[in-house]
Amino acid sequence: MDYHDKFTNIHMDVIQEVGNIGAGNAATALSRLLGRAVDMDVPIAEIVPIYDVTGHYGSPEMSVCAVLVRTEEEFACSLIFIIDEKKADIIADLMIPTDLSGMDESERTRIRNSAIAEQGNIVLGTFLNALSTITGWPLPTSTPSVARDMLGSIMSLAASIFGFVGESAMLIKTNLHIRGLDDEGLGGTVIMIPDPGSLERLLEKLGML
Amino acid sequence: MKQPIPIHVGMADLVVSKHPATLTALGLGSCIGLVIFDQLSRTAGMAHIMLPDSSEAHKVSRPGKFADTAVPLLLDELYKLGTVKAQLRAKMAGGARMFPVSGKADHAIFSVGNRNIEATTRMLGAAGIRLVASDTGGSKGRSVEFSTETLKFAVKILGTGTNEI
Repeated sequence: MDYHDKFTNIHMDVIQEVGNIGAGNAATALSRLLGRAVDMDVPIAEIVPIYDVTGHYGSPEMSVCAVLVRTEEEFACSLIFIIDEKKADIIADLMIPTDLSGMDESERTRIRNSAIAEQGNIVLGTFLNALSTITGWPLPTSTPSVARDMLGSIMSLAASIFGFVGESAMLIKTNLHIRGLDDEGLGGTVIMIPDPGSLERLLEKLGML
Repeated sequence: MKQPIPIHVGMADLVVSKHPATLTALGLGSCIGLVIFDQLSRTAGMAHIMLPDSSEAHKVSRPGKFADTAVPLLLDELYKLGTVKAQLRAKMAGGARMFPVSGKADHAIFSVGNRNIEATTRMLGAAGIRLVASDTGGSKGRSVEFSTETLKFAVKILGTGTNEI
């Protein structure tokens, strides 16, 4: 199935609204965690040809952190949160009470990665919670998995998975703003990749199919 | 000397060029950058393969997308430019598994990199083209650049530098 064929503006509005509720909740959760005001931009849902996905948010060689979770059962899908690597590390350092400066590189990365897993978990978890509220489905998430890599490499994996079933990808972009920090780079984007058949179930549940 | 023509090979693209040229693919994750070149004339082509098998897809809009359609087409295009089969060699890079395995996230779809490597290798074997160098698998993405001047494949990985194969 191709997203272009199935998705109308109304469907996109629903996904965007899910993102909206999710973003609000994620901002609140992050703000509690960091002890600072956090805002998230209104998410923008887009349908993009898979062949254009790698460069859609910037240079394919830009360094990013990506967090992957899956949910199974009623709505089997993969969710990936992508954020500029520098920004992810800045937020990670705010989450970690210890000073990491004296630590060796690999140990510091390991500790930061667990904080970044939690960032992704919060954003993707609240996104799924919003979806769960709307559908009434319990949508438990898997343990988050973290990658530090080129934007293009992460996006190309997403594009390939979308590519199994069609020619388009659904991307939801938002931006995290943390009070007192300069904004830079990619502030956060969520890619929701429903397993084959899941999207039909969702649209049916919402009475839209 | 003529300046090499820089050619960017996007996802699912398939490009061939006479010498001199540089063929580049940025940020390969689970995808494969496959280059086949004529050792003597230096005519070369690159495919940016996304998925292993076109028979799993609903439609095949771009043959470069799948290993099983990209390899025969790439060879056809190279023969059109007058290359000789006995002089053709292949190099490939990519096919990473981008996320470490963890519980439920260890879903079959995330092994697409590995399946891409297997399918591409198998297709080259079936076509009788010798794979002379490869840098595949692992968990890191790669950017690749092939030069028809040196016939080398420069493979760049974030944080660890460039490796020529």
